[in-house]
Amino acid sequence: MAASIREKQTAALKRMLNFNVPPLKNTAAEPVWKVLIYDRFGQDIISPLLAVKELRDMGITLHLLLHSDRDPIPDVPAIYFVMPTEENVDRICQDLRNQLYESYYLNFISAISRSKLEDVASAALAANAVNQVTKVFDQYLNFITLEDDMFVLCNQNTELISYHAINRPDIMDTDMEAIMDTIVDSLFCFFVTLGAVPIIRCPRGNAAEMVAMKLDKKLRENLRDARNSLFTGDTVGAGQFSFQRPLFVLVDRNLDLATPLHHTWTYQALIHDVLDFHLNRVTIEESVGPETGARPKKKNKKNYDLTAADKFWQKHKGSPFPEVAESVQQELDTYRAQEDEVKRLKSIMGLEGEDEGAISMLSDNTAKLTSAVSSLPELLEKKRLIDLHTNVATAVLDHIKTRKLDVYFEYEEKLMSKSTLDKSLLDMISDPDAGTPEDKMRLFLIYYITSQQPPSELDLEQYKKALMDAGCDLSPLNYIKQWKAFTKMAAAPANYGNSGVKPMGLFSMVMNTGSHFVMEGVKNLVLKQHNLPVTRILDNLMEMKSNLETDDYRYFDPKMLRGSESSIPRNKNPFQEAIVFVVGGGNYIEYQNLVDYTKAKQGKRVLYGCSELFNAAQFMKQLSQLGKK
Amino acid sequence: MAVDITLLFKASVKTVKTRNKAIGVGFDSSKDEILRKSRPKNGFSCRAREVISNITKLKDFLLQHRKDYVSADSLISSDLTRMTDSERDQIDQDAQIFMRTCSDAIRQLRSEAEKQVSSSQVKEHRGAVLDLIEDYLRGVCKLYSEQRAVRVKRVVDRKRLSVSLWEEGRVEDELSPEEIQMFEQENQRLVSEMSSLVDEVRQIEGKVVEISRLQEIFAEKVLQQETEIDNIHQLVVGATENVKEGNEDIREAIKNNAGFRVWILFFLVMCSFSLLFLDWYDS
Repeated sequence: MAASIREKQTAALKRMLNFNVPPLKNTAAEPVWKVLIYDRFGQDIISPLLAVKELRDMGITLHLLLHSDRDPIPDVPAIYFVMPTEENVDRICQDLRNQLYESYYLNFISAISRSKLEDVASAALAANAVNQVTKVFDQYLNFITLEDDMFVLCNQNTELISYHAINRPDIMDTDMEAIMDTIVDSLFCFFVTLGAVPIIRCPRGNAAEMVAMKLDKKLRENLRDARNSLFTGDTVGAGQFSFQRPLFVLVDRNLDLATPLHHTWTYQALIHDVLDFHLNRVTIEESVGPETGARPKKKNKKNYDLTAADKFWQKHKGSPFPEVAESVQQELDTYRAQEDEVKRLKSIMGLEGEDEGAISMLSDNTAKLTSAVSSLPELLEKKRLIDLHTNVATAVLDHIKTRKLDVYFEYEEKLMSKSTLDKSLLDMISDPDAGTPEDKMRLFLIYYITSQQPPSELDLEQYKKALMDAGCDLSPLNYIKQWKAFTKMAAAPANYGNSGVKPMGLFSMVMNTGSHFVMEGVKNLVLKQHNLPVTRILDNLMEMKSNLETDDYRYFDPKMLRGSESSIPRNKNPFQEAIVFVVGGGNYIEYQNLVDYTKAKQGKRVLYGCSELFNAAQFMKQLSQLGKK
Repeated sequence: MAVDITLLFKASVKTVKTRNKAIGVGFDSSKDEILRKSRPKNGFSCRAREVISNITKLKDFLLQHRKDYVSADSLISSDLTRMTDSERDQIDQDAQIFMRTCSDAIRQLRSEAEKQVSSSQVKEHRGAVLDLIEDYLRGVCKLYSEQRAVRVKRVVDRKRLSVSLWEEGRVEDELSPEEIQMFEQENQRLVSEMSSLVDEVRQIEGKVVEISRLQEIFAEKVLQQETEIDNIHQLVVGATENVKEGNEDIREAIKNNAGFRVWILFFLVMCSFSLLFLDWYDS
């Protein structure tokens, strides 16, 4: 697992775009042009990994959606990257009949069934286009990689496999089977791309266990079939020096419901919570034009991509927000200094024409000029990134100020670590200018989840009344009550560990006057390291520590022959690599916590995945839907 | 890791064929060979491919002769593969003519593609294809200019070497000792002057090569801005026209307004005079 999952998936995509031939290193090769056709799933997979410019560099002249109107472009090979569904196959057959392109390279995101392959074959025969279908591939790329070490299963139709879909009371067995099959299919594709067979551990008695059993079965079947196995040969051997297999930990969302509702303080998680953030793209509404009385403000939507090439983002996506603000300011200062140097060069150039004795200076200046010109594109790019982050951070800061998110964050941290509270919950809820009704509901739910015993009836009524006055919707509370009762039967409620939040005091002006970020009245909170439940479970399992929670976990090893579970020889050494997967949904707070945990441990690598990615607002919606049933 | 199921696909095709034969639904497979559209001889992609093959020929030619071109020539000229300067100049000239023809061909293709009526997708595709070909040509041109820069540097270095050699090969005349001394001093002075001049010239030559490179970059940027400035020029001309017309219209309106006012005043005055007249007439 030397290469990250992002690099592996990008390499697989690039190979596919090169007609499934490994791309040569020769940079001055002849251009070959092609057309790329994808469906929405393919689009979601490709867009975080390859920018339009990179597609152009690989020779892709047009990229189109499968179900759009496409004109015939003769003499061009077409590369298809679609899911093997009924309607996609029909559309491909239609394209073959209409003879849109010269040759067809069909790549299916996950494995296509035999019957659908025969449909394509018969359409090709009917259109006399069998020779045009040059290659057909199963790519096994049915997952979306967002970061070097984070992946999501899908972005389209997430309601089919959402937390709500898995946990609703009126779910039927067939629905559950379908959901499990989808999840297992994507996880299987993930492991094929990763090129490793993991050891699976999961808790008992919930959706995670079902997924683990199915995945184990699927991996076992594939390994048995030695001829067609996807795990032998060059994928596994290439560049892999670890002889150890990775650990795959499957957990269910029901383990920890407080973390998705938690208010957060790190940059990436804040952007996801507060702004519109999908597939590494932030959408901000900016109002354009002066505010006149009669004319309404025009709102422009601007999209920003936060990519792996953006060094500032990679460095600071996990930092607490005040640090980010400071760093943006620093970057701006360094950029201005460089700009001034370039401008100074211009003035030196100006006086050089008059002074005869400046020929000796000429050598210096031409060298300086060359270096300045070559560094100009870099400077421009840096300016663009600084502008981008300034806009994003300003938008986040506005939200923080209006909703007083820092206060909520501090309070919730105290709740979760069971330290003393300086303000009563009722005060927080009835405070009219702190936070939206949603924020208050989140706070109350966290209180309810983390309290050792439920509050008394009288207190509860008081809280409910205060919440209703603030305009909150109380249906999530019903569901949380049920959940709490259920988990109390099963195990002790999750312990959130000892964390502390040290406020560095209120200060009115953090920066000097030249700064954009006047953090007036916003507390500068320093996060102390603490472990969320998911991180703790991972720690126990990776280090083979014995712990009440994790001893009861099931153990699956697809490479072993089937025996009774207790007689399977278990791996006794601590694991070096692990993959954590949350069935039912995950978020950036858990991801950040895992990244921090990995940084503290030398030489360990952890990947984080979830079936869908939601922020607190979306999760609340699902909870209220569940609460209404 | 991707799995190649092309063979599976071909097997499915066979299965479907046999199934169709069994059912009795037959597709005449011999027809398709005849009905296959014959590609138009001078289609866009044919010509684009021609341009690419030409550029590839140029690239191969340059790479082939690269070693000879940049070989460090020793003063002892006994190497058979060494090129003379005239041969190098010939290569330079040929390469430049070739590159110019290629870029002309690309430009021609572009203008033709724009004139042709086709759907927007096809237009976009063709534009992108031409961009790819231009990038390829630019890469090959860079190869050529790198080679050339190396050659110029070597020429400059060689001149330096020849100066120092020339310093050593001075012939001594038969003159009186005083004159000899004077001449020697004079010689020394001249030599030092010349060598300092040569130094400066060498430096300047090196810098000129750098400046030419910078100029290339600037020229590129200026050309890019040229189109934008043309646009702005058009817009400004249009705007001045509109403003002029607007002024005319306003002048007309003022005149009409004034004329209208005069008539109203006249009418009112006439009415009041007629009233006075009638009043006087009646009384």
